[in-house]
Amino acid sequence: MSTPVPAIAVSDLHKSFGHFQAVKGISFDVLPGEIVGFLGPNGAGKTTTIKMITGLLKITSGTIRIGGLDNRKHLAAIKKKLGYMSQKFSLYALLTAMENIEFFGGISGLAPHELRARMHVMAEQVAPDVLRQKIQDVPPGIRQKVALFVCLLPEPEIILLDEPTSGVDPEARRNFWNEIYGLKKRGKTLLVSTHNLDEAEYCDRIIIIHNGDIVASGAPDELLRRHQQVNIEALFENAIKNHGQN
Amino acid sequence: MVRLEHVSKSFAAIKAVDDVTLDIQRAAITILTGADGAGKSTIFKMLVGLVKMDSGTIFLNGQDIGGNYSCLTSVCGYMPEKFSLYTDLSVEENLNFFAAIQQVPLRRREELKQRLLERTGMGPFRHRRAGALSGGMKQKLALSTILLSSPELIILDEPTTGVDPLSRIEFFTIIETLKNEGKTIVMSTPYLDEAEKGDQIVFIKNGCIMRQDSIAGLRNSFPARLFRILPRDNIFEAMAGIEAIPGLAGQAHMRGKFIRYMQTGTENLGRQIPHLEMVEEKPTLEDMYIYYERRQ
Repeated sequence: MSTPVPAIAVSDLHKSFGHFQAVKGISFDVLPGEIVGFLGPNGAGKTTTIKMITGLLKITSGTIRIGGLDNRKHLAAIKKKLGYMSQKFSLYALLTAMENIEFFGGISGLAPHELRARMHVMAEQVAPDVLRQKIQDVPPGIRQKVALFVCLLPEPEIILLDEPTSGVDPEARRNFWNEIYGLKKRGKTLLVSTHNLDEAEYCDRIIIIHNGDIVASGAPDELLRRHQQVNIEALFENAIKNHGQN
Repeated sequence: MVRLEHVSKSFAAIKAVDDVTLDIQRAAITILTGADGAGKSTIFKMLVGLVKMDSGTIFLNGQDIGGNYSCLTSVCGYMPEKFSLYTDLSVEENLNFFAAIQQVPLRRREELKQRLLERTGMGPFRHRRAGALSGGMKQKLALSTILLSSPELIILDEPTTGVDPLSRIEFFTIIETLKNEGKTIVMSTPYLDEAEKGDQIVFIKNGCIMRQDSIAGLRNSFPARLFRILPRDNIFEAMAGIEAIPGLAGQAHMRGKFIRYMQTGTENLGRQIPHLEMVEEKPTLEDMYIYYERRQ
């Protein structure tokens, strides 16, 4: 069986800000249909890497290929494949949830009737009066739902989610992961960064990153076996401490 | 050590806290957990007298405090969710300032400060401006400022929210040390994996306590069983199969290559879903929280 072309192929990726090396030569693949979790402390390089994948941030050296295409040469084609939900959910705080959806639907090139057809998904999950509230006034769980909905409007194949579950309550978090599996079922590829270590088990594979280096990567259960750890928290702490000593 | 009895508080038409009775045990970690707006912060604020109760009683060591909050505040340290540090002052200057307003005797001040800097690993940063610290370090400095008065009771409102996982682990290690020294700790957190490290757990929803018990107590009295199933065929088809069984929709969710399934009756899912493996698991606090929340 030939290996499929990776949805995301990162090779020897570096990023420096002045003298500071934020990402120090990391390499990894995300295969089509996979959910890969990106774990690490603040400042580890997660957001920087995700931003380089989207083309929002210039690569210092190394390559990123999306579905085989180099993202420095084919950015326009790649942007059509990628969906990105940033850490701060780039929704307009003073617009209502509904107005945000209409705005982002418009710039994603969706015709108004197509957008209306898609709205039923949202309407099933969120009450209409909540959709009429300003986005700054709705609970984090709803804000995250709207942000994800907006990110999915152009039907991207590859979805990058930067800390989508920060500050979201347990029930909303579980529902969110149900939605992620719905996307996987439809063949989407997902790279998800998270601060919640227990979410590692939801992923097919995880990558732990610290100080710009990958310190561990693999399927969660296989990683626990390989490092002889009882849970992801112990594994995480250990991987980071050992890395600090080298 | 502290008991709140039938405590209620409304803000206009909203019942923020609704007839809450809560025990905070000495030398233990009590954790309040629930969604945003469940009433956790309001409970803490009533405890320290920042928000006036509509009704209810607070007992300290068995005595009704009867509105005399100073007997409580003199033995407690309270760290609000949005704590305040002086961002233009250094770590050490912040500690000096808070020691002064808490009237820590001068001769004890140096020794206390040293101990706190050591304990939190902030010694090397003592001259750094508080505003230039990382989120995790600010949290540790804020904790240090309330520890200067050597409180017996430590009240922490979401001290680890938004803090990265490594800092969260470190912060909790400090909390555990404090407990082992005999301090009483009550804190809130939205992270249920963190709550597992507590002694007493309180689940709150819409201002009401859904459950309060020790972790072991919660587990022993939990009315459902949790199974981890590795399906033989396509996991999405297996999930669809479970969802189609009457009464079972919403009882299962996917996690990686497994389906986790909450058995609440006598049904035997193993017979209905072809599987390679079916193992009973200990439910996590998150499983229990979601179970009770859905039945409210």
